[in-house]
This record gives sequence, C-alpha cells and structure tokens, in this order.
Amino acid sequence: MEETKENYDLTPRVAPNLDRHLVFPILEFLQERQLYPDEQILKFKIELLNKTNMVDYAMDIHKSLYHTEDAPQDMVERRAEVVARLKSLEEAAAPLVTFLLNPNAVQELRADKQYNLQMLKERYQIGPDQIEALYQYAKFQFECGNYSGAADYLYQYRTLCSNLERSLSALWGKLASEILMQNWDIALEELNRVKEIIDSKSFASPLNQVQNRIWLMHWGLYIFFNHDNGRTQIIDLFIQDKYMNAIQTSAPHLLRYLATAVIVNKRRRPQLKEFIKVIQQEHYSYKDPIVEFLACVFVNYDFDGAQKKMKECEEVIVNDPFLGKRVDDGNFSTVPLKDEFLENARLFIFETYCRIHQRIDMGVLAEKLDLKYEEAERWIVNLIRTSKLDAKIDSESGTVIMEPTQPNVHEQLVNHTKALSGRTYKLVTQLLEHSQGQAAR
Amino acid sequence: MATIASLLASTRNPFPCFRQPLYPGSRSLVFRRYLEPCGRRTPTVPRFIRACQPSEKVGGDGGGVSASAKSYHFGNELLSFASDNFLPLALVTGVGMGFANPSLGCLADKYSLSKFSTCGIFIISGLTLRTEAIGAAVKGWPLGIFGLASILLLTPSFSRLVMLFQLQPQELVTGLGIFCCMPTTLSSGVALTHLAGGNSALALAVTVASNLLGILTIPFWVSRYIAGGVGVSFPTDQLFRSLIVTLLIPLIIGKVIRETFKGFANFVDNNRKLFSRMNAICLSLVPWVQVSRSRSLLLSVEPKVFLAAIGIGILLHLSLLAFNALSIRILSGLSGDYNSKNSKGNGTAVLLVASQKTLPVMVAVVEQLRGAFGEPGLLVLPCVAAHLNQIMIDSILVNVWLRKSNASSTDGGSDSEDESDIEEEIQEVQNNDINNRYLQDNSDDDDDIDTKRVIKPTKDKRFEEMTHTVEQMKNAMKINDWVSLQENFDKVNKQLEKVMRITEAVKPPTLYIKTLVMLEDFLNEALANKEAKKKMSPSNSKALNAMRQKLKKNNKLYEEDINKYREAPEVEEENEPEDEDDDDEEDEDEFEDDDSKEAVTDEEVDETTDTRWETMLNKKDKQMEKLLSKDPKEITWDWVNQKFKEIMAARGRKGTARFDLVDQLTHLTKIAKTPAQKLEILFSVISAQFDVNPGLSGHMPIKVWKKCVLNMLTILDILVKYTNIVVDDTIEPDENETSKPADYDGTIRVWGNLVAFIERIDTEFFKSLQSIDPHTREYVERLRDEPMFLALAQNIQDYFERMGDFKAAAKVALRRVESIYYKPQEVYEAMRKLAELVEEDEEAEDAEEESGPISSFIVVPEVVPRKPTFPESGRAMMDLLVSLIYRNGDERTKARAMLCDIYHHALMDNFGTARDLLLMSHLQDNIQHMVISTQILFNRTMAQLGLCAFRVGMITESHSCLSELYSGQRVRELLAQGVSQSRYHEKTPEQERMERRRQMPYHMHINLELLEAVHLIGAMLLEVPNMAANSLEARRRVISKNFRRLLEISERQAFNAPPENVRDHVMAATRALTKGDFQTAFEVLNSLEVWRMLKNRDSILEMVKARIKEEALRTYLFTYSSSYESLSLEQLAKMFDVTEAQVHSIVSKMMINEELHASWDQPTRCIVFHEVQHSRLQSLAFQLTEKLSVLAESNERAMEARTGGGGLDLSSRRRDNNQDYAGAASGGGRWQDNNMNSGYGGRQGNNRSGYGGRPGQPRDWSGQNRGGGYAARAGSGNRGGMQMDGSTRMVSLNRGVRA
Repeated sequence: MEETKENYDLTPRVAPNLDRHLVFPILEFLQERQLYPDEQILKFKIELLNKTNMVDYAMDIHKSLYHTEDAPQDMVERRAEVVARLKSLEEAAAPLVTFLLNPNAVQELRADKQYNLQMLKERYQIGPDQIEALYQYAKFQFECGNYSGAADYLYQYRTLCSNLERSLSALWGKLASEILMQNWDIALEELNRVKEIIDSKSFASPLNQVQNRIWLMHWGLYIFFNHDNGRTQIIDLFIQDKYMNAIQTSAPHLLRYLATAVIVNKRRRPQLKEFIKVIQQEHYSYKDPIVEFLACVFVNYDFDGAQKKMKECEEVIVNDPFLGKRVDDGNFSTVPLKDEFLENARLFIFETYCRIHQRIDMGVLAEKLDLKYEEAERWIVNLIRTSKLDAKIDSESGTVIMEPTQPNVHEQLVNHTKALSGRTYKLVTQLLEHSQGQAAR
Repeated sequence: MATIASLLASTRNPFPCFRQPLYPGSRSLVFRRYLEPCGRRTPTVPRFIRACQPSEKVGGDGGGVSASAKSYHFGNELLSFASDNFLPLALVTGVGMGFANPSLGCLADKYSLSKFSTCGIFIISGLTLRTEAIGAAVKGWPLGIFGLASILLLTPSFSRLVMLFQLQPQELVTGLGIFCCMPTTLSSGVALTHLAGGNSALALAVTVASNLLGILTIPFWVSRYIAGGVGVSFPTDQLFRSLIVTLLIPLIIGKVIRETFKGFANFVDNNRKLFSRMNAICLSLVPWVQVSRSRSLLLSVEPKVFLAAIGIGILLHLSLLAFNALSIRILSGLSGDYNSKNSKGNGTAVLLVASQKTLPVMVAVVEQLRGAFGEPGLLVLPCVAAHLNQIMIDSILVNVWLRKSNASSTDGGSDSEDESDIEEEIQEVQNNDINNRYLQDNSDDDDDIDTKRVIKPTKDKRFEEMTHTVEQMKNAMKINDWVSLQENFDKVNKQLEKVMRITEAVKPPTLYIKTLVMLEDFLNEALANKEAKKKMSPSNSKALNAMRQKLKKNNKLYEEDINKYREAPEVEEENEPEDEDDDDEEDEDEFEDDDSKEAVTDEEVDETTDTRWETMLNKKDKQMEKLLSKDPKEITWDWVNQKFKEIMAARGRKGTARFDLVDQLTHLTKIAKTPAQKLEILFSVISAQFDVNPGLSGHMPIKVWKKCVLNMLTILDILVKYTNIVVDDTIEPDENETSKPADYDGTIRVWGNLVAFIERIDTEFFKSLQSIDPHTREYVERLRDEPMFLALAQNIQDYFERMGDFKAAAKVALRRVESIYYKPQEVYEAMRKLAELVEEDEEAEDAEEESGPISSFIVVPEVVPRKPTFPESGRAMMDLLVSLIYRNGDERTKARAMLCDIYHHALMDNFGTARDLLLMSHLQDNIQHMVISTQILFNRTMAQLGLCAFRVGMITESHSCLSELYSGQRVRELLAQGVSQSRYHEKTPEQERMERRRQMPYHMHINLELLEAVHLIGAMLLEVPNMAANSLEARRRVISKNFRRLLEISERQAFNAPPENVRDHVMAATRALTKGDFQTAFEVLNSLEVWRMLKNRDSILEMVKARIKEEALRTYLFTYSSSYESLSLEQLAKMFDVTEAQVHSIVSKMMINEELHASWDQPTRCIVFHEVQHSRLQSLAFQLTEKLSVLAESNERAMEARTGGGGLDLSSRRRDNNQDYAGAASGGGRWQDNNMNSGYGGRQGNNRSGYGGRPGQPRDWSGQNRGGGYAARAGSGNRGGMQMDGSTRMVSLNRGVRA
C-alpha cells in the first residue's frame, strides 16, 4: 500500500516546476502524511534551504534532524554573509524605501510611468540604480522568507519598472509571495496578470512561452484548490488549447488536477467530452487513478472498473498535497474535496449507467455506487425528486425503472422541415432583389 | 570474291545497330559507322572510342566519313547500301521509330496494323515461294528427314535450356524461348546453302516442309516449353487456329495466286527486289508497333541485360549449329558415306537450314499470344537481334568454309535466283556482283578488279593504309594544300595508334617518323616563304597555323626518334618492316578474338579496363612511365606540385582517360613531399574517382568506391595526425601553402570539402544499390560495404565535432541516420556483428595493397579507427545522432532527421512517441514545399507509422495514416518502390528517368503486401460496421472510398474464386464479417502469408482476432437488431466468443453514441431494443425531408452561382453544413485532422526528455513562424477545411517534373 501511495505521489514531477519556497508547503504536507521517512524529508528541506537565505530555519531543521545543538560551520558563516548582504541592499534601496514609506510622497505618483520616473529623479534624486536596488532588496527579502515585505516592494517596483522582463520577474515574485502568504484572492489576480503577459507577450521562443505556461499552471495549483472559485478557474485555464498543449507536451501529470476539477465541478460538463479525448490520447504517457476513472466511465463503460478506481482515487486525493487539504472539524479532520469527489464520481457513474439501462436492480446499483441499500435508495429518491433523473422506483421488485426518452417521429419530421420554408422564402426574396437590381440597371 | 575481311567488317557493324535503341543519342553515329566503307574499318575503333570522350567519338568518326566521302562518291554508296541492307535497316528503323515516337505506333496498334502486316508477310512469302526445285531434294532424303526432325522436334527443346536463364525482365528470355520453337528461315537458309555449295534443293524442301509442319508443332511446343516455364496456362488449339488463319492461309493464298496466274508469277520474279522490300517493311512494322507499345518497359531494361539477351541469342544459335553439326556427322557416320561429296552438300544444307529460326513466324506467333507471356515488344526485340545475328554468324561460317575449301563460291551464282527473301545481303553474297561495294573490300585498292584477293594480314594492311595516307600527304604537299594535309596528318596519327597497338611496339614505325621529319621540313619551308603564305586562301592559312601548332606538340613526343632518324635515316627504315612480319599470324588471330569479345562486352567497360589500359601505350602512359621512373632523390616539392598541376589540367579535357588520371594521381600521393601536399593530391584523387563514372544514371564502380573510401580514411588520418592542417573550401589557399612542412607552426589551409565528399560517397553507394539486382549475390555483397561507409562517416563526424564545426557534423550525422533509421533492432544487431567481422578481412586486404612497389614518402599511420562503433541498440544511436542534428543542423537536415527519427520510433512500435514527434514537427503542413526525396521519406514515414499503429492495435489511427497513401492507386510511386503504370497518360522518358532515380534500394522497402493488408484490414474493420449502421440512410458516410470501390468490384463478380492475393483475402473476410461470421473472417485473414513478416505475429493476430470479434458483434447488432425484441448478454457473449464484460462495454458504447436504440435491462441481463423501426410511411417521410433539404441546398447553390455569391448567410450556412458532414465523416477517427489541430497543435518547442531535455535548446524550428497562432486551428470549425487539405497531403511526386 505504501508503495502505491508513493507511486501516485507527484511531488518529484511537480517540484521542478515550482519555486523553492513553494515546495515547502508540499514537504510539510508530506511530512504530515508520513509518506516518506521523516529524515529524508528533513534532509531534503535543508538542501532546499541551502540555496535560500532562510539560514535560521535551516539551522533549526538541522538541529532537529541530527539532534544536536550546534549548527554546522558553513551555515553560521552563511548567516553572517546573508546579514551583511541584507544590510548593504537595504542601504542601497533606502532612498526609495523611505520615499515609499512616506504616504504623502506616494500620493504624488501618477499613472504615467514616465512622469513618475521623471519626478523621482528630479525631486528625490532617485534614479534607475535605486529602483534596481529595490528589486534586489525585494528579492532578498523573499529569499529570507519575508514574503509580505517582498510582495509590497515588488508591487511598488512594478509601478516604477520600465524593463518588461524585470517586470514579469517581479510579477512572478509577487505571485509567489501572495501564494505563500495564502492571500488567495490577490494571488488569483496576480495569476491572471501573469497569464495575460504570457499570452500577449511575444516570447523570444515558443519554448520559453510553453515553459512559462507550465510554471503558471503549477503555481496556480495552490490557488485553484484553495480559492473558492478555483475549481472553475482551473478548468477554464487548463482546458484552453494553449495550456492543454503545454500539458500534453511537458506536464501530463497536471491532468490529474484537471480531471479532479472536472469531476468535482458540475457546471463544466461541456468541456468533459473534449477532455475525455485528451485523456485517450495521453493514455500512453500518463496514468492515474483519477484519470483512469474517467476513462472507465466514459470510454470503456466499465462500471466495475470505475468502482475500483474510485477507491484508489480516494487514496490519491488524501495523499495529494493540493487535493488533500484538510479541514479540522472538531476532533477529526476531513478532506472536503474527497467527499465532494466521491459524491460527484458516484453521480457520474450513475448517470451514465442510467442512460444505458432500462431497469436497474437497486442492490446492484447500491453496490456500484459504493453505498448501502437504503442510502442508495434515498440517494435516488433525492435525484428523482430534484428531477435530475427521469425514473421511478419499483420497490416491489427493488428496481429503478427509467422513463423511456424516445424522440417523437412527428417532432423529428417537423424539426427537419422547419428551416426549409424560411430558407426558400429567403431565396425567393433574394432572387427578386437580384432581378430587380438587374432590371434597374 | 568476298574476302574475309569484308565479311568480318560487315558482320561487326550491325552490332552498334542493336545498341542504337538503347542509346538514342548516338543514332547518327551508328548509322554513319554502318555506312562507312568496311574494309578500312578497324577493330580498334570501338576501343579507341571508349578510351576517349563520347563527344569526340562522334566527331572523330564523322570526320572519317566525310574524308572518305570525297573519294568514294558518298551519295551513290549510300543508296546502294540502303538497298542492299534493306531488311536490317528497316528493322532497325522500325525499332528506332518505336523508341523515338511511340504515339504513332500506338495508333497503328489501335488499328491492329501488325495483324495485317503479318498476313502481308505471308502473302508475299507465298507469292515468292518457288517449289520447282523441290524434286531435286529426294536424293538426300535421310538427312532431309533428320533436318525436319531437328527443326520441328529437337531444337525446340533448346527453349527449355534458354528458359533456364534468369534475366530481368524475363520476357527477353521468353522471347528467345519462343524463337527456339520456330521453324527455319524462309529463304536465308536456302540462300546460304547455295552460297556454301550445299544441296539447295534439299534446303528448299526442308524449309517449305518445316514451315508448313511448323504450324502444327509450334502451338504444342510453345504451350509445353514456354508456357510451362512461365507458368501460364495456355490454349494450344486457339493458337493453332489463329496461326492457320494468319500464317498458313495467307501463304497458301499467295502460293495459289502464284500458281494460277503464271504471268503474275513472272511479274513477281522480275520484281523480286520490290517484293522483298515490301516484305521487309511489313516485317519491320511489327517490331515498330510492339516497341512503341511497350516502349516504357523497354526503356527500363538495362542495356546490360539486353546485351545479355543478345548474347544468349548468339549462344543459342552457336549451340544449335554445334548440335546439328554433331548430329549430322554421327548420322553420316552411321550411313557410312561420310566422305562422299554429295552427302557433304546435303549435310551443309541441313546444317544451315536446321540451325536457323525464322523471325516472321515468331512475330506472327507473338501477335497471336496477345501478351500472354508479357510485353510483346520485349518478346520480339531479342529475337530481332537473334535473327540478324544468326544470319551474320552463318554467313561468316559459309565464308570460312569457302576459304577452307579454296573453292570460289561464286561460279554458279547467277542463275540461282531462288532466294526471295528479306535477307538481301545474303543475296548479294550469292550474286557476287562486282559493283556491290558493300561486300567488297573497298579499301584503298578499289580499282582492283580481280575478285580473288589475297587476304592480307591485318598488320600489313595497317601499314598499307598508313603508307597510303603518307602518299596522300605527299601529294598535298606538292600542291600546297594544307587543309587536306592537316586532315591526313590527323588520320596518320590515328593509324599510328592502331599500328602500334598491333605491333606492340614501343617505338613508332620509321615510316611515321619519316613523315614527321618531312612534314617539319615542309612546314619550316612554308613558314619561311612569307610571300606564298600571304597568297594562301584563308582556310588554307588557317590550316597551316593549326598544323604548325599540332606538329610542334606532336614532335616533342618523338623528339628523340626524330633526331635519331635525322642522323641515320636509312638504317632504321630497313629494319622496321622485317621485324613486324614475323608475328603476322598471331596478330591476326588475336585481333579477331579481340574483335568478337569487343562486340559482346561492349558495355562492360569497367571490367575489362585493366587489360585494355595496358595495351594502350599512348602519351598518358608515357607520362606515367616518366613518373614512375623518376629517381626518388630528384623528387622535390616543386616537381611534384608541377606534375600535379599538369595532371589536373588534363582533367576534364577531351581524351583524358579517367582511370589514368586516378592512377597518376595515386602515384603522386605516394611521392608527395609534405602531408599538406599529400592531402591536396588525395582530394584530387577522390574527385577524379568521382569523375570515373560519367552521367547521372550509372553508379561508380564498386572497386573505385572502396578505394575512394580508403582514400577518405587516409585523409582523415592526415588531418587527425597533423592538427594544424585545416580543410576549407571557402578560401582559395595560397599557392605554396602545401609546401609547408609537417612541423610548420601555423595552420595550413588546404582546399577541400569533406562533407561534399562523404555525401557523394553515400549517394554513390545508394545509386549502386539502386541499380544492382536485389536478388543477386552482388547486392548482398554490396550491402556488406555499409559498415565501411558508416565507419568513415563516424570518423568524419568525430573530426568535425573536434574541430567545432557542428553544422558539418550534423550533415554527416544525417547521412548516418539515413543509413540506420530503417533498420529494426535485429538488422541493426546483424550489422554490428558484420562490422566486426568485415573489418578483419579488410585489414588483410589492406596489407596486400600497401605492399606496393613504391612506399610513399609520407607514411601515415592509421590513426583513425577503421571500425565503426555501434551503441547497443539502434534507438540509442538514433537518439545520439538525432539530438546532434536537432542542435546544429539546418532546416532540411533537421526535417529529414526528424522524419527518420519518427520512422525509427514507429519501427520500434513506439506509436505514441512517433505520433507526437510528427505532430510537433508540423512537417505535414509544409512537406509539400520540400524536395521530392524528403517527400518520399515523409510518405515512407507515414506508411511505417500506419504499420506501427496497426501493430499496437490502433486500427483507426492506422487507417488514417494509410488511407491517403492508398487513395490514388499510386502506392509504389509514392513510396518510390517501383514505377506504377498508368493506363491513362504516358509518361515522358524524362519523367521516368527521374522516377527511376528516386527509387529506394530493395532492402529499404516497406513490404507492399503487408502494407496493403494492413490498410485493407483497417478499412474493413472500420467500414463494415459503418456500412451496416448506415445501410438505410440516404446520405452515406464513407470512411474508406478505396475499400468501398474494391468491395463493389468484388460484389459484382458472379462467382467468387478462392482468394489468391491480399485483396481477395480481405474481401472474403469482409463478406464473412458482414454476416457477423467472425470465425471465417479471421481464418481467411489468418491464412494470409504476409503475417510472417511481422515480428510478434501471434500477439498481432490475437489483436486482429479480438477486433474482428468486436466489429462482428457490432455489425451483427446493427444488422439484426430490428429482428430482436431483446437479446441476452450471455447469448451474445457466447455467440462471439467474447467475455461478458467486453460485450457490455461494447454495447454500452453503442448505446451512448446512439448507434443502437436499446438499453440494458439490468436484472435480466438483456438488451432491450426500442422500437426504432419507423413505419414505411415514416421512413419515406424522412427520406422526403432529406431530399427536400438537398433540393433547397442546390437551389441556394444555383442562386449563389448566378448572383455571384450574393447571400453571405447562405454560403456560410452551406459551409457549415459541409463542415458538419465532413466532421461527421471523420468520425473522431482522423487523428491527423482532429487531434492534430485541436489537441496537439502547439506541441512545438517542447522539451521532452531524450529529445533535447536541455532547456534553452531550440526545438522550435518547425513552428517558429506560427507563434501562438496555432490555437486558431482548433475546434470543429476547421475540420472541413482540413478534410480537403487531407487529400493533398500525401505528397504527389510528379509535381516537380511537370512543373
């Protein structure tokens, strides 16, 4: 069981597309779920932190990992170095920072970037060097784990920055900061901003563009599965051709999230068909219980298989850092997405099942839906009551009987011919117009 | 009296005529050569011609003719010649016309002209047939009977021997085989017999009898020997009947006319020549028609093969002669009167008559066969050749006899006018008309009336000729005619060569030297006399100047001799002739031998070159001699450089022997002083080796190719060892760049282009494989050379990579990729093993070669490995090379590499990867704009992709890959695996040549049968349920048009024979499948032979079986659902031998897609069918509405056409309709269209691991300019458009030619 859990763990595939800092939440999650030995995760964390400036944190982890009190020499040295560098950057960016801290002064800024630069230069002697310093400072802040500071500075920097590339980079920084601060609303805004730039900007190479899209999708996972409206958003974003192409070429594992979102989200049914096609195409390159579940239901009509997959899906969702978000509800924690997923998956199975059946035994149905008999009955009654299902229960024989939905022949005929008269009428008028026009000529 | 020489000459000459059809360009030459007075013709001419360039050959010969024309009244001669040789000329002209302009011949064929002409031949034959003398034959009846038996019974069995020969096309041999079954010639046998002093009455009797009886026997023999050999069942009696109609009846009619109207007979006898000409014309019409009809096929026959066929013909005749001679001797021995003169005459007659075979009857038979044994043109052509051959051989024979018996054959010639034949030349021999110039030795002694001529040894004749020319020169000097002097001087030089060759002398004869001295003196005199010079006519003075220069150049060669002569003129003169007289006899024999050999092996220059060059001691050899004899100590860089320049200057010049050039240069490489110089010369050696084979169609001799590769390796050795030497082809290097010694510090630039060389070597390799017959040992041998090439390519690539020239390295890598991509892993393994084995042999060979006489100054150790190294798997190697190319190659290289990559992936059954690569590359969008070879590669890739999809069980994908390939009936052409014949338009020779040049070598072929099977099975699996589903709908959806068409054809047949080919099998399977009989369907398919080509055949057959079951189930449901109220799952599963889960899945899918109006009844596990059957009225109503909408649409269309697209909304709606239709037709199956655009459109610039996982590596070459625009193509909105594109996507190969 442990094996499969690890197999379904996408961290190794997701992580390379994330920022260092963004990987931490995942590692935390994994640590919590205890999928991997603690030691391994801690080591990985230190390795991760080595390249950042969060030396203190690294030291703490080191201590807990090796159960010692003293930090290794290089970490201590690095800490000093980091502090020194922070100082120097702070100094360099000081003029601008003080300016920005002054609310009166900030009010002088206008929408016109050119004017702002001019103004800063003339009145505050703040030139490009200082602005550049601000960026560096913000970056450093981010590296140190001071995300809110970094976010602020980056926001300011963007208003002043004239370099497009830097601006994009700042935007990425801001997005990361917001995600890490879990400001999902703002993060979503930032995400859309980045998306716009990616889509609009003519990148140096399509390769670059694809890479950016993939980053965006990965980063977006944090937002989509935490924001209220995220599940709709993720479908909207991923199903776009450009993004779908990127997924298919470079990151087929993202299909899991899209599949989950599609299953969970009732409103996005139209996209389902297209998505199923993609799943069929990518069958050879990526396999996942969630994706396979869809394939079972919509491609092979293998309901028993779907049943099995559903159980596996549960496992996957619980162990996925993005999907398996826990909500502590009193004493025990639940994974809301899991329940939602199961409910919807059941509905999927049932719907499809009903479409091809005339009469279904309730017992079998209950089994298929992974419910108890009574539960199943209640469930179906509910569906019928909300007129989602055109059926009746025959409790004597314990079956559900579908109402036949035969199109009326007469209706069909009428439909076929309805347009004809209109078309003919139009034709005649056109003909008349034409002949008149010729006569006039 | 005719001399041997003249006959020899006359027999030799026609050979070029046979070559004529194969070389239309040299026609004029051939004619002229034919016309030229024969006595002077020397056997050395062809040899000489081959030694120099073709252009010169024409010019040279033309000159000879014009010169002779002056003295021999050219016009008269031409006329008499034409009339004397009317038949060969007519035949040759007929064949030539057929080649030159087939349309007329085809027209003639339409009106079955050849049928009339055969009738005509025999009517005329009947008219001219005399039977008066037959009574005289009674004396020799035993031999006569034997002759008849031999002609009718024994010799036809030779055809069985002939049929053993394997030639491509087999028709050539078949034709000769039929030829064997023929009776004897109508008249030439009689004529020759007469000439040879044999019993001509007996001959005549045998001829007439055998021709009459032959009509009875021929059909029998033909069906027995030939049809059996070819494997065609053949209606004997039908042939017999038609032979009587076309052959016997006209003959009898003619004869009856002759007998009944005496006056008419007299008229015929008096105008015999006219009739024989008519006969000849009729006869030549047949080859003309046949050749024009099958011209394209004939053109595809290689000259070599054709020559071989001629050779077989000659052999056949000789063996017939031998057989008959032997039998006659034995027979005479038995009867005991061996020595009596009478029997000898009879023997001669029978021998001659029994050994000959008649062409007209053959032509008539072929005409009646109606192509049962193949192309009539191919059948007839070798027989035309054989017919002419046999007449010539026999005439030689007769002359030999005459000479032996020392009897003049001419005594009784005048009254025996009974030849009536086409064989005019024989007639002339018989008549022995003194005025007939053709048969006389009309060399210089034309005025010699005495017919008994002494046969001079060839050498004497040569000397005589030379003396004669010298005499003429003297005359010219007297009148100060420089023009003729110049002409004669050229002539004398030519003659000199011949003389020297014959005498095998190193030194020129004194006569020549004397002439030179004389000329020089005269020239000096003329130059000194300035006044006279001024008076000269402009042409004369021009000739004088030319002469001065020529003489100067020429005399330099013989300076020594001239000086010697000037010192002691007399002594030498006396010595010379005596020397030469000694070996007269030998010389002559040798000359004759040479001669015949020459004629046969005319084309095989390459093989006989070695001996030839030895015998030719000309200027070049002298130069070579000089090179070789040079004292090693004297050789300096300057000297070598100078020599090198000299030799290079001769390159490409007229008359430069290419092999010599190579030899000389190779020698120079050995004496080169510096490595750079050696390198420079090596480059030239390779270029010269490339030059060895002129023309585009032929390939480089394999020996030369191998040497070339070795030279390349040596170059690499040098380059690797002396790293300061740089090869460059952009900068013209300094004059003395190569003089820098090995230890020179700076870089030394040498001109050269390794990439071009390696590409050329590869191309030559490819070409040689193209032209070698793939079923021979030779082909296999040639394939074994591939590792050699790969080693070279690998070394060069390594070198380039070391030098940092990645662009070039990519080009070389592409060549390596192209020789690997089509190899499955097993073949790759085999090659790896072979490479190790081969190398050992090679080394041994190398060692032998190295131990030449002169060791080179610059000895380069073998630095570069001679063995190619291969990674474990072909895939690994491909990945390695391909990633290099993607990184560094240019557009074309990348595109090709990509295609090869895809192909190889497909070969390895990685369908997903291959498909993704193809889609990412966007190659299918712009393949139309690429060169044809790349388009072919694309087509091959698509075919392989289709096969791959089939192997992994993706039928729909497989079908969509292959359907376009099969849509146009031109698979062979599209894959460059053979020429497809089109009934409707004739291809120009240019087109055909181009096509042939594009052909893939055999070992790279994709098996067409397998491909067809895969395509048809795929189509069947898709189309059968589709047809069942839509059988009622008015508007049918067609998935595979091709399949539908085939099905219609097969349904139209009244009776179905057991399946023979792939198509029959699939059709039989389809019939079974339509009824839902999966078992039979699978069994039929299982019996296909092509499955053994598949690696994992069992699993694939399993897959096919599963699919057949599935589709059978679907078809069954579609077809019979209306007959059921409900159907239980269990029953279905049992019926189709499928698991219940599968049935459930399949049926559910059909329900969801609304293909089946039914639903499951879960508790009873049944399918309950809903009442979908409309009443008759309802369905009629539906049809009506359907038709109404069609009507409305057509109205709109008409309206739009009239108003010029007035209503926008209308047209747009129509387009919508079409799109829906098209979209529906594509049915989600055409992944090329749907998925490609919606799903994969933007898969460019990815970085899949393994294809350049390195970030930043641009993989966007295919889609650069598509930016982000590809998304626009998504969705169903574009499907319609794409559908239309689809038809043009499979690349048409003729575009380039027609444009």
